[in-house]
Order: sequence, then C-alpha cells, then structure tokens
Amino acid sequence: MTDSALATNPASAVATSAVAPKLTVRDLHFYYNGFHALKGINMDIPEKKVTAIIGPSGCGKSTLLRIFNRIYAIYPKLEAKGEVVLDGDNVLDPGYSMNRLRSKVGMVFQKPVPFPMTIFENVAYGIRHHEKLSKSDMEARVERALRSAALWDEVKDKLKQNALGLSGGQQQRLCIARAIALKPEVLLLDEPTSALDPIATGRIEQLVEELKSEFTIVIVTHNMQQAARCSDLTAFMYLGELIEFDQTEKIFTKPGKKQTEDYITGRFG
Amino acid sequence: MSSPYLRRRITNALAMVLSTLATLVGLAFLAWILWETLRQGISALDLKLFTKITAYGEDGGLANAMVGSLIINFIGIAIATPIGVLAGTWLAEYADRTKLGESIRFLNDILLSAPSIVMGLFVYTIIVLPTTVLTHGSTTFSGFAGGVALALIALPVIVRTTDEMLRLVPSTLREAALSLGVPQWKLTLQILIRAARSGIITGVLLALARISGETAPLLFTAFGNNYMAINPIEKMSSLPQIIYQYANDPGDSMHALAWAGAFVITMFVLLLSLASRLILSRTKVSHD
Repeated sequence: MTDSALATNPASAVATSAVAPKLTVRDLHFYYNGFHALKGINMDIPEKKVTAIIGPSGCGKSTLLRIFNRIYAIYPKLEAKGEVVLDGDNVLDPGYSMNRLRSKVGMVFQKPVPFPMTIFENVAYGIRHHEKLSKSDMEARVERALRSAALWDEVKDKLKQNALGLSGGQQQRLCIARAIALKPEVLLLDEPTSALDPIATGRIEQLVEELKSEFTIVIVTHNMQQAARCSDLTAFMYLGELIEFDQTEKIFTKPGKKQTEDYITGRFG
Repeated sequence: MSSPYLRRRITNALAMVLSTLATLVGLAFLAWILWETLRQGISALDLKLFTKITAYGEDGGLANAMVGSLIINFIGIAIATPIGVLAGTWLAEYADRTKLGESIRFLNDILLSAPSIVMGLFVYTIIVLPTTVLTHGSTTFSGFAGGVALALIALPVIVRTTDEMLRLVPSTLREAALSLGVPQWKLTLQILIRAARSGIITGVLLALARISGETAPLLFTAFGNNYMAINPIEKMSSLPQIIYQYANDPGDSMHALAWAGAFVITMFVLLLSLASRLILSRTKVSHD
C-alpha cells in the first residue's frame, strides 16, 4: 500500500484485520473554546482487539478518547462534530442516552481515583446505579469484577476497608474492576499506567492482554513500548490529525509515513 | 567553602531565624492572652461560676450566660449550616465558572467581612421591631433573634469553606463517577460531599468558634437577661454580653467574673479549633 492511499483513507488500513468494527469514527472534528483540536478523524476500531493511540503531547489522543464516552461534555465550551458510531448508532447524537452510553463504554483514567468509600462499595457503586441486585448477586458480581481485574486475592480479606489505603497500582486495578463491573462493551484507558511504577505497569499491561477476550479496548499512551507490547493496532496522531493507523507490528517495523517513522524512532515528540 | 554556597547558607539561616521569631511572637500573644484571662479570672473560677446566675451580681456566677450562649450559638449554627452547605455546594458544583456564580461568590465575601454590629441592627429591624406588633408595643428582644444575627455571621464562613473544600476535590473524581453513568446529583451527594466531608465539618466548627465570641450582634437582639432563660423567645444572656457589661462595672469582683467568662470562651474556642484539627487530620485523604 502506498503512502497516499493511507493518507486519503486511513480506515482502509484496518480492513486487513478482518474483524468487524465496534466503533467507527467518521470525519470527527473537535473544538476547545474555538481551537481546532481534532481535524477530521476517520478510523474503524475493531471488536475485541486492543487499539493503542500514540503521539506527542497535545496531539489530541486523549481528546479523541474522551469523545468516545462523551465525558468531555461535562465542561463548557467544548464541541465535537462528526460521527462516532457504536453498534450502528451515533453516540454524539444528542438523543443518544448518556446512561446507555456510559454503561456500554467504560473508562479508566490517568491517575487512580478510587471513591472515598470501601473497596467493595467502590465496585458496587456503579452497578447499583444501573441494576437492582440481591445481596448475594451483588457480592458475586463484585468478586467477579475484582477477579477479572486481578485484584481479588489481594483484597478479599479487606473488602470493608477504605479503598484509599490501597497502593497506587492496586487502586488503578480497582478502577479497572469498577469499570468492567458494569459489563461494558468498550473499555477506554487514558494513559492508565503513567502514575505507576514499572511492576504495577507490567501487571496492568498483562491485565489488558487478558481483558481483550471480553472487551474492545482503546488505550491512549505516550509510552511507545507499551503500545508495541500490548496492542493489536496502533494509531499515530500528530497535531490533531490521524497520521497512520495500522497493525501494531507494521507501525513499529514498517511505518507507511515519514512522520510516524520519525516519531517511533525518537526523532521528535 | 565556595562563596555562593556560603551566602545561600546564611540566607537560609536568616530566613529560618526570622520566621521562627515571627511564629514565637504570635504564639507568645496567644499564651499571654490565655495566661492573663486565667490570672485575672482565677479568683472567680469556681463551681458557683457554673451553677449560679448573674442576678446575684458579685456573689453570683455566669450559669445563665453560658446556657444562653449555648442556645444562641446552637440556633445560629442550626440555621447557617444547611443553608451554607447547600449554597456552597451550588457555587462549587452547579455555578462554577458562571457569571452568576462568580457574582454570588463575591457578594458572599462581602458578607464575610461585614461588621457584626450591622448584622445585629439588621436583625433588630427585621425581627425585633416587627414582632412588637404581636406584643402590643413591648420590646421583643429574644434569644432567637440573637441566633439569627449569629447565623448571618456564620453563613458566609460556611458557604466559603464548603465551596473551597468541594473545589479542592480533584475533577478526575467527578469524571470517574460520571463515566460510570452516575448522575450529577448522586455524584454530589454520595461522592463529592463525602470526599470533602471533613473540610466542611471543620468549616462549621470554625464558624461556631467565630460566632461564640461575638458581642455586637447580640446587643440589639438577645439583649441580655439576669435570670436563666431557656425559651428562645425570651430575652437571653450570653457570655460576651456579660463580659462587656461586667467589664464596665466599677467592682473588682465583677471584673474577676468577666475575666473568668473570657477564660471560658477562650478555652471553648481553643477546644473547637483542636477538635476541627483532629477531624481534619484523622480523615485526611490524599488523591495523589
């Protein structure tokens, strides 16, 4: 494939993955208080794969992620134009229920932010908002979420303790448990390991690998090795544009664009 | 030793000495105040201070003034807390970065620095005077009116601390809860207020400490009463008002009583401050 083919239709690069897209982004523009932060993004994010978004600071990668669950909308003067299609419906449509969107698309943030309550309640809190469960069903559900987040063995004896007493890495896995407890279909991870030490980071990456059998994962990272280690597809963004989007292996070995190559070889960024 | 390094060491030592001195001066005055109130009031600090009422003059105590102070302060805090916490929550969570919110925050700061005598006169005009209609012209000073005047002083303190404590809660906590689909009202009540709880309680305690020493707002409202009054619609005595009254008395034993009252108030405020410190440090939560 030539450079020009990738540039005019980045989405075509993904067709090679032969998996149906879960999220389809069409001509997406984003404005911060008038500043044009995303300039016509097009991409197909395949189901049950890990898609990494990399790029230098300020390239718009977090902005893009924060549009997928419309969390940007809690702040004034931000505007998204275009389409983000999830299972056939445009989630940017004002009629699309926020409740439905947030139960289908979960998010984990850069810094671990446990709620000021017990470990158990942290996980149960979100579930309780969406479903009425009996005490035993809730306990089973919380346990399953904590097991999926590889945290159960460390916290099973102190579920009633305040979550703020956990270590940073444990807190972040708790936040992942909290997000997957709602059984979302898509999981957005916004630089989930940037506040963690290397050991905790390794555990989260391993966890991402395990979780992709169940969820469609989109991870924003400024750590290229992390993208190379744990993603199936990688998108490179620069100055609000999607420069290249392809199989991770290809991006890191034979990038199609000069800018991508410059970035991954450390020439800028 | 090289000279820039030496200079830094000297500057550092100098800054440390000066700031330590400044701290000592501040603390010395505090200790002096405590010592002086204790020394001057020690002759009157006995059981009868807490059991006898002011009607006995120099043979009496301050029991009615203490009870009055407790009731008036309680009324003030009971009125100011719910309004203050709700208003502070509104400012921080619903009106942040809006013109209306900024204007109200500014007005609240003006209320915060309004002279307390103005609050007393205001309550005199809106409660004490109008209610004379009910009593066919006789005066209607009351503990309740005093409580309202103190509430007006406590209110801006509580609004301000609630607002600030909530705005200290990191926005990532809000995003995390909203990303689970939790609506704003649940987020505010169940997570943000909980995260800021100890700070809000501290604000209420500080407001209580602030109003418990106020004299001016009570002169035209609670007025004073030499007998024990429990019913808030009656005239009511209070410690600051008795201190003011006794300090103007020529008798030495009256002065001692006033000093003893001053010592009781100072200790009360000190204990409140310690309690709020304790609450804040015990439940301190780090988000980093």
